[in-house]
Amino acid sequence: MEKTTFFLALALSSGLLFTGCIEPSVDIPEQVAGLAPIYYEGDWRDIGAEPPQPIRELFKIYYKDSIIFAGESLKGIHVIDNTDPFYPETIKFIRIPGNSDIAIKGNTLYANNLSDLVAIDIGNLDDIRVLDRVRNAFPGGGSPLPDNYFGFFECPDTSMGAVVGWAEKVLERPECWR
Amino acid sequence: MARNLITALLLTALWSCAESDSEAAFSDSNTGTGGSLARFTIVGDYLYTVDNTTLNSFDISAAGEIKPRESILVGEGVETIFPLSGFLFLGTRSGMLIYRIQQGGVPQFVSNYQHVVSCDPVVANNEYAYVTLRASDCREAGPGAADLLEIIDISNITNPHVVASYGMDSPFGLGLDGQTLFLCEGAGGLKVFDVANPQNIQLLHHLTNFNAIDVIPLDGLLLVIGPDRIVQLDYTNIDDIRVISEISIGV
Repeated sequence: MEKTTFFLALALSSGLLFTGCIEPSVDIPEQVAGLAPIYYEGDWRDIGAEPPQPIRELFKIYYKDSIIFAGESLKGIHVIDNTDPFYPETIKFIRIPGNSDIAIKGNTLYANNLSDLVAIDIGNLDDIRVLDRVRNAFPGGGSPLPDNYFGFFECPDTSMGAVVGWAEKVLERPECWR
Repeated sequence: MARNLITALLLTALWSCAESDSEAAFSDSNTGTGGSLARFTIVGDYLYTVDNTTLNSFDISAAGEIKPRESILVGEGVETIFPLSGFLFLGTRSGMLIYRIQQGGVPQFVSNYQHVVSCDPVVANNEYAYVTLRASDCREAGPGAADLLEIIDISNITNPHVVASYGMDSPFGLGLDGQTLFLCEGAGGLKVFDVANPQNIQLLHHLTNFNAIDVIPLDGLLLVIGPDRIVQLDYTNIDDIRVISEISIGV
């Protein structure tokens, strides 16, 4: 009974959330290829400056005062000194778990830290500080399903921690889809 | 009908008003520059963010302090935000939405331009908005969706209308500097157009030796980001655009 209610709620919510685009499927397969959440190990609210990191997957760029800020997918920001554009130099990596977007005013960097919005003082890159945090400013933010993904996925379990990404996995009777 | 007319007149008045005071009120050298795929932007004392369905504003007038303000439901599939002269242009999967920033930073809906469902960012000047529509690898893409660059006349901000449309190959981010439009085509590289005549834009260059997702034109210096590298080009002489440096995997 409870399970039926859950399914109804799920079907209803997925229908409400994604109206127009998706026909909610109802046949749950025994086994199917899909996506499973990757949970962040440790405290995802822990933000800090690190030595330069290798570039893996960039997707956002921001520029201010001869510094390039390049977003590393869901991990943080590469800080590149571009005083001489012929010889750009990677000087720091700002670790911001679950980050996807930034903007800067003065010495303050505004970024999403998964579903939170944070203000970070970057005046001294060796000693960056979180000045303010708005919790859950982006409900459902952080790491949603990949934009172009439609199919089954493992329902995120909030007790496992914050979802920082998605990986392909063979799922047994998955109860979530879109 | 009469009410619509009055609203239109009022908005036209607001637009002309915005044009005259825009530079003084909204230019802010203290703020950086984002790419066209940005979902955060700062205008004056306000940070605006979009997240799929919502346009949020935050008062950041006090350094280091974030005060949540508006949270406006704007529809489905909002992907990008681009600020210009007191307006916010939102790229969504079903079209472009235009909001005016009112007193106190409050965004007010002005108009929209609808297109078939696809993935798309937008850049603009005071006359035209340039929107790329990507159907390739965009699973939400609706029937009839194609890979396009659309040029939309926004000189009447309340009534944006398409003036020209060009076939592209899986377009992503784009950047505008005067009459030069830089358009990223992912693995297909970077296209550079002269858009002086929107009815007849000219392809000046097509650089194919790197993967381009988004760009920032900086007055002669072009920053290009791909998934695996940052490429910088010198375009002070647009006929002789050239790569000057590259940061890639492994640094």
